[in-house]
Amino acid sequence: MTETAPDLDRLRGDAPPRNHDARTIAALTANPGCARRGLMDAAGVDKDAVARHLGFPAPFGQSQFAITRGNAFEAQVKADGCAELLTLLRERLGLDVAEVAYDDLEVVAGNEGRELRHTRTRRLLARALETGEGTLFDHPLLRLEIAGRLAYLEPDVIAFQVRGRLHVIEIKSFAVVDGQAEPEQVAAAARQSAVYVLALRRLAAELGHDPGRVSHEVFLVCPENFSNRPTATPLDVRPQLAVLERQLARLTRVDAILEALPGDLVFEPGDALAESVRAVEARYAPECMAGCEMALFCRDEARACGATGALGRSIRDDLGGVDTIATALALADGSLHPSDDLAETAAQLRAAARLRDEALLAARGGAA
Amino acid sequence: MPRSPGVPTPDALEARIAELRAAVRRAVAAGDRRAARDLRADLRLAERQWDEAVLGDAGTGNTTSPGGQDARESEARGLLPVREQVHQALTLLGAPAAPKLIGSVYAAFFPGEIAGSRLTSLRRDEERSFRTAPYARPYYLCAALTADLLAPARGLLTVSTWPLEQRIVGPLSPRTDFLTSAVRLAEHAGRGTPSPDVRRLLWRFASNIPGAVTGTVGTVEPADLAEAARAELQVHREPDRRLRASAAGRARTRLDDAERLFGSRLRALHESGGRRAAPGERGR
Amino acid sequence: MSVLSSLARLRAASTGAAEPLATVRHCHLVDAPLVLVPLKLSGEAAAPLAVMLGAAPDDATLLVVPQPRNRDLRFAFAADLAKLVLNHIETSHGSVEELPPGKEGEERIRYGNAPQLLVPNRGGVAFLRLLGRSTRFRGTEGPYAVDPAVPVLGRWLTWFAERHDHPGSSLLHAMTELLRLHWATGQSSLEDGNLAALLGWIDPPDGLDGPSAAARAEDPVACPPAGPTTDPSFDNEVLAPAIAAYHESHGDPRALERLRAAVHGQVAPTWELMWRAVGVLRALPEGASVPGRWERDRDAFTYYHQTFGEAYPQARRDPPVRAARRLHDLERAQDAYDAQRAFDDPLVMAEHRLSGQAFGGLVTECEPDRLDETGKRPKLRPLLRIGTEDPVRLDPGTVVCNAARPALKGRIVEFDGGGVLLELTGGMGRRLTAEPGTVPGVGERVCFTSLSEGSWGAARFPDREDTPWTHGGPPAEYVPTDEDAEEDWS
Repeated sequence: MTETAPDLDRLRGDAPPRNHDARTIAALTANPGCARRGLMDAAGVDKDAVARHLGFPAPFGQSQFAITRGNAFEAQVKADGCAELLTLLRERLGLDVAEVAYDDLEVVAGNEGRELRHTRTRRLLARALETGEGTLFDHPLLRLEIAGRLAYLEPDVIAFQVRGRLHVIEIKSFAVVDGQAEPEQVAAAARQSAVYVLALRRLAAELGHDPGRVSHEVFLVCPENFSNRPTATPLDVRPQLAVLERQLARLTRVDAILEALPGDLVFEPGDALAESVRAVEARYAPECMAGCEMALFCRDEARACGATGALGRSIRDDLGGVDTIATALALADGSLHPSDDLAETAAQLRAAARLRDEALLAARGGAA
Repeated sequence: MPRSPGVPTPDALEARIAELRAAVRRAVAAGDRRAARDLRADLRLAERQWDEAVLGDAGTGNTTSPGGQDARESEARGLLPVREQVHQALTLLGAPAAPKLIGSVYAAFFPGEIAGSRLTSLRRDEERSFRTAPYARPYYLCAALTADLLAPARGLLTVSTWPLEQRIVGPLSPRTDFLTSAVRLAEHAGRGTPSPDVRRLLWRFASNIPGAVTGTVGTVEPADLAEAARAELQVHREPDRRLRASAAGRARTRLDDAERLFGSRLRALHESGGRRAAPGERGR
Repeated sequence: MSVLSSLARLRAASTGAAEPLATVRHCHLVDAPLVLVPLKLSGEAAAPLAVMLGAAPDDATLLVVPQPRNRDLRFAFAADLAKLVLNHIETSHGSVEELPPGKEGEERIRYGNAPQLLVPNRGGVAFLRLLGRSTRFRGTEGPYAVDPAVPVLGRWLTWFAERHDHPGSSLLHAMTELLRLHWATGQSSLEDGNLAALLGWIDPPDGLDGPSAAARAEDPVACPPAGPTTDPSFDNEVLAPAIAAYHESHGDPRALERLRAAVHGQVAPTWELMWRAVGVLRALPEGASVPGRWERDRDAFTYYHQTFGEAYPQARRDPPVRAARRLHDLERAQDAYDAQRAFDDPLVMAEHRLSGQAFGGLVTECEPDRLDETGKRPKLRPLLRIGTEDPVRLDPGTVVCNAARPALKGRIVEFDGGGVLLELTGGMGRRLTAEPGTVPGVGERVCFTSLSEGSWGAARFPDREDTPWTHGGPPAEYVPTDEDAEEDWS
């Protein structure tokens, strides 16, 4: 298929590479400074299996109620030739009545092979960009280069062509109540959609078209209020695109991380696994819990060495670069003399310690 | 763990059920599927034992009697075999349709219901039957064929006696078929007094066809629905027909009898694989 | 977050026990709060699964929707919940205080008490808000009729959720927020969202310290989440089979009982935690300004209760004037609340001292009888020099007041490395000599701050009929429609 850096391949041992999906790619942007995650992702290591083997299984279970609800809503919106979706697009975007073409790219002649599906996606989207033919392209199979490796993307979305531009339509089953949805869910959807937009733009460029013909405006289709009736919300994903592109560009530098590591490093199940994982530096922050399979392991490690980052990014920022709790407390009680660059932080900490103690003493005195 | 204890007390069983539930959840969390499966089996056993110990025969009779359930269901469904029910619904619809729509149409216009679980294997059974004894039956429930590769289209059923043009689907066909079905259902409903189920079904069509809703929200005038659907159909019909006709021509020359009914899975795969391998990606 | 609270977290992390962030309680706690522990069905916006509620630890009622996707069962649940909640509201207002008549001579009263709702976390507040939104427009007549109590519940829940947005209000609280206001743990704020973990740091079960209690709390099997979302493995392995069995049994009471038992196991631990947390909070002495804020809450409750019958359900979206006024009110309330907490609590004031908006120390020089005679009449203007190590960030001329007695006001004259020179301007009586005890003497410990409770007055907003065209002009009077009443809840 594609040439992968052999150095990266050997990190997995005998295991096959794990595929990215938009969720894992979007999650890359959450903690760009983490070498451990960057390396494991670039090598396609099955982080879920690694975390489980280390005794820290990722708590990312999904409720069957949520899955059922999501599938049912999607099926409903797409039923009868996307009847509800077409109505929505006609009402909201003034889609012309003639624009009803629907191409299903999920299966090619009963075959679900990725190469085949991607080829067909490419052909139909090329035609759409050249002649304007086609309106809805369901389940396109896209590709995106991640750290020098082509990852297939299985978006659960519809690519939508109108007036010579392609849009991404993402169907989500969380409710939009009186025009508002849960911000975290919208943000997650925007991050994921940005991955699809980027992959579509790369495809357009490969096909010799202006990537700008893939719109940064995606449409989020969600149930309205407490009903099953769909509603469409346009979402501008330019900020997410910018972060994603920057992060993907940075990811290509994993070879620099790799150089500094022992040549026989491998993330294979076995007694040496924990040691191998620890050999690559992590940058744990509580936000990792939302998306990285390794988070519980890294949190345990960060806590064991008393890292301030385990308490949250804002605390690490408040402490202006003091990495460990012990150091911060020693600066606060004056038992450690700060280097010049920590002088200001140390002064703040000492003042804070004095004010805190004074207030607690006053309160105790007042109560007595 | 002993699988057949003497007679455990309900309390002991309850404790064991709680313990097993926790164990199943931990196994799932740890990604250990085999352990989860085994534990689940133990859990179901313990739950059955609890039922027997606490509820006695009444409990089992009420909850898990397959005979009773089946009898109730077949009574509700009427006595027709599933394939005949589907045939009736498809004949009324007059266009390739998904099992879900077939089920709704049958439930609205005919007595009883189609058992959803039987629909999933229907097409495979029909194909097997045809291949063993071709044309032994007056009709077969078969696939819709995709216009480009003449392969079976996902999740659509048709009737073998329909002209090939009607059974082939191009990009515009999902919409034209939806509109065609709307016209036919509306006309059929317009001949009598539509039941609430029929009205609900018609509303599903009308709310997604421009100009079809003429009265208040939730109500449909069948004649207006048919007229609106025909008006939109006018826009798509000709380009859709051309594509279907040319694909049907190809199907007639290239496919054998069974493939014409159930789609050309293997050849399409082979063809497209071979065609793609040479100029493919890198030749760009 | 400030360095001060960061330091508290660091200390908690190193000792394994929570550190106080407050020395007094900054919220009101009624004698019998209505604790609600709601659960919803995963994947749905506001499909209730269950709620455990009651106003005493040994008086819990569990309501369960045995098939949350069934609309009729949902509304039956809403009706049951409505009866309990509305009964609590009606029995919580206590005696009626007669107030002096208003400007136009109208009668004014205030209830002696008000209902207080406590839920485990922010998700619980959001759930009540959505439940309110999904029930308040329901019609009680016609084809989609519901129990008359249902829309009444919807309006009350909406009202409570709106009061929750009001800084300093104690009518509806999320327990995690209350605890975090008073304690810092040695874990991150993300982990503080878990009530069991948070309380584990503050008041660990016997034999455990903060970290071990929190670790136990993170195991969803041993310690069910506080909702409203249930643990996925509970959903898949316990709840789904129980709901399916209930469904297939066509409402067999035994299947229902099994389902209730399963759900009970998920909410009961949180119920216990809620009451333990109430006890922990009650042990703190109440802040001095808390009764005043509770009085505002009682006013709001009295008004809403008194006008309930004449009003429509709250609109889906606020019209512009109301939205602007509400925002302004919230900002004012936030400022007042922040200042009041600082005046009530030296530990909160310490935050302002660290940020330079307050300073404290010993009085080093005092000139209590100084008069300013530059004007027509002499004025009492004592001078005070306060030695402080605090990083003061106040310019000369800034008006400050005494933290212990805010009536005592002064103006900063100068500030140098070692201290602040202050000219006192008010709060010492009307004569040319200060009332005894009003001016701090040399050697006394004092704290002055630029904070004040009402730094900016209430702004004026146009009446509804004068809504400017920039904001869409006067909005149509909101009248609920049939469509509102018939909106699906599926």
